[in-house]
Amino acid sequence: MLYKILDKKDFKDFVNNLISAYEVTAPKKISQALHDFFPIKSYEEMDLSYKRTTLPPAKKMLFPSNEALASYTVGNNIEVKSLNESKEQLLFGVGAWDINGMNFLDRIFSTDFIDENYMEKRKKLKVIGIDAEPSDANFASSVGSEFAKEGFDLFLSDIGDKYFVRIGTAAGAEIASKFGDFLDASDVDYSAYDRQMDLYKNKFNVNVNLDNFFENFEIVYGKKDLWEKLAKSCFSCGSCNLVCPTCFCFNVRDDIKIDLAGGIKSRQWDSCMISNYGLVAGGHNFRPDEANRLKQRYRCKLKTFVEKFGQYSCVGCGRCVEACLAKINIYEDINAVKEEVSI
Amino acid sequence: MSKPKVGVFGLAGCGGCQLEILNLEDELIDFICAVDIVHFTEAITEHSDTYDIALIEGSVSTKHDLERLEHIASVAKIIIAIGACSSTGGLNCLKNLYGTEKAKELVYGDKKDWIDAIDTKPIDAYVKVDYHARGCPPTRAEIVDIVKSLIMGKVPEIPDYPVCIECKRLGNICVYETGGTCMGPVARAGCNARCPSANSGCEACRGPVDDPNINAQKDLLDRYGLTVEDIMEGFNLYNACKKIEQKNK
Repeated sequence: MLYKILDKKDFKDFVNNLISAYEVTAPKKISQALHDFFPIKSYEEMDLSYKRTTLPPAKKMLFPSNEALASYTVGNNIEVKSLNESKEQLLFGVGAWDINGMNFLDRIFSTDFIDENYMEKRKKLKVIGIDAEPSDANFASSVGSEFAKEGFDLFLSDIGDKYFVRIGTAAGAEIASKFGDFLDASDVDYSAYDRQMDLYKNKFNVNVNLDNFFENFEIVYGKKDLWEKLAKSCFSCGSCNLVCPTCFCFNVRDDIKIDLAGGIKSRQWDSCMISNYGLVAGGHNFRPDEANRLKQRYRCKLKTFVEKFGQYSCVGCGRCVEACLAKINIYEDINAVKEEVSI
Repeated sequence: MSKPKVGVFGLAGCGGCQLEILNLEDELIDFICAVDIVHFTEAITEHSDTYDIALIEGSVSTKHDLERLEHIASVAKIIIAIGACSSTGGLNCLKNLYGTEKAKELVYGDKKDWIDAIDTKPIDAYVKVDYHARGCPPTRAEIVDIVKSLIMGKVPEIPDYPVCIECKRLGNICVYETGGTCMGPVARAGCNARCPSANSGCEACRGPVDDPNINAQKDLLDRYGLTVEDIMEGFNLYNACKKIEQKNK
């Protein structure tokens, strides 16, 4: 990895140069407490001091909530055309946990089966990360995702009057040389960066201990009372899934034109927390109640991919905690599991 | 295959659901080409007593409504309730909360006996309804989708998940974040979160999901400072006839 320095007085020009070359998607303030990532036309539209966005930006861009996959015509000639919209884009100002969330989606959509619709967009996406401000519910440091090792072209860390820049890819090096006045980092900059990283780790309010969770979870897996208690107020509304940077389930639907001459297949974000997710032909629902579904979600986040990929599929962004109107809280429930085992 | 004959009827309602069919605009021509519309109270002069599919708007609020509904049901092979009034009883049911006799007196005074009003009920209180295109007004796409599915012989996909799903897909700011309240967590989606997208709380015009967590909704509204009366208003506006109740929790 290469390291560079960008003076803050050159930062605005850098961003504006990027905007002139790319469609830049960056955080914008949308309400008192919330930001969201949108394409921006000027540096002034961007607000990097964001804490919360309802949706994870990379998921929104690479795996849109509603996406046409194929169109077809029926009749004498059956024709199927795959639909795959992608363009060169640059995502600016994304936090480490969201980059790690995107890295997980990259893996999901390229393991066993290559999802062209996702991967085409991913290949054309440049990513510039930043040490974003963790929200009050963010526990990324507890799951090891407060730092991004890969998945970005450039990553900026604020070290006072300049940014310490990690260059993650050849494309990142090209962006740095083409669009900004990046300088070599000095020893002083390196130590400032080390200090900043130590400080940054302390910015995460929520700390949860996942030691032994993998084993504990199996111990309490069959404890119906526990899961019923934890899921009692669940609306089965799916908000936790849809705002999750790593939830990748989708449903495919068919919209046939009323003249029945053809149609479109599209996919929409789905949720394992809604009641008919586990409904199969014949009317059997293998996850008929909230308790079963919540348990399954935690299993998927904290166990399934430890076995499959060697990592949690939870990046600790805290969005599910913030989005849940029933106040169901993953890190409190991790502790509840621990407590149940210790009884 | 001959085109199915379709009748569009209106009972007690504002007529807005029938208008939604006329508002199909881009798809209207295709729609009327795909089926044979033989009766359409709001749109055509012709009448017919032979139809396969009946699209019925409005609730049953008078004895006359009931007679008409029973007649339609005796002819049609498939009944589709369109709109809130016909699916849940809709706003018309608020009358029941006063008591029908008292409501008649309030509105018609000493002429109240001229009116044959009865307690308002959704049409499925009297006849078997095959599909519901819920909402006030129903979404045009869903009406078309149901009819289309019938032509193709497949089961229409009608959402049984809360409105929250649609808000999240759209990236909406949650109404509760803005200090408002919303029935979204227990209300059936399918409208593409029409009201919350305009920063206005959902009023559950499509009725509840099949298994709503009513206790959690009461707790939620209570946490946002609503009184029992406010909460009941939220539940009753479109759903006074079919009392939304907690199931198996």
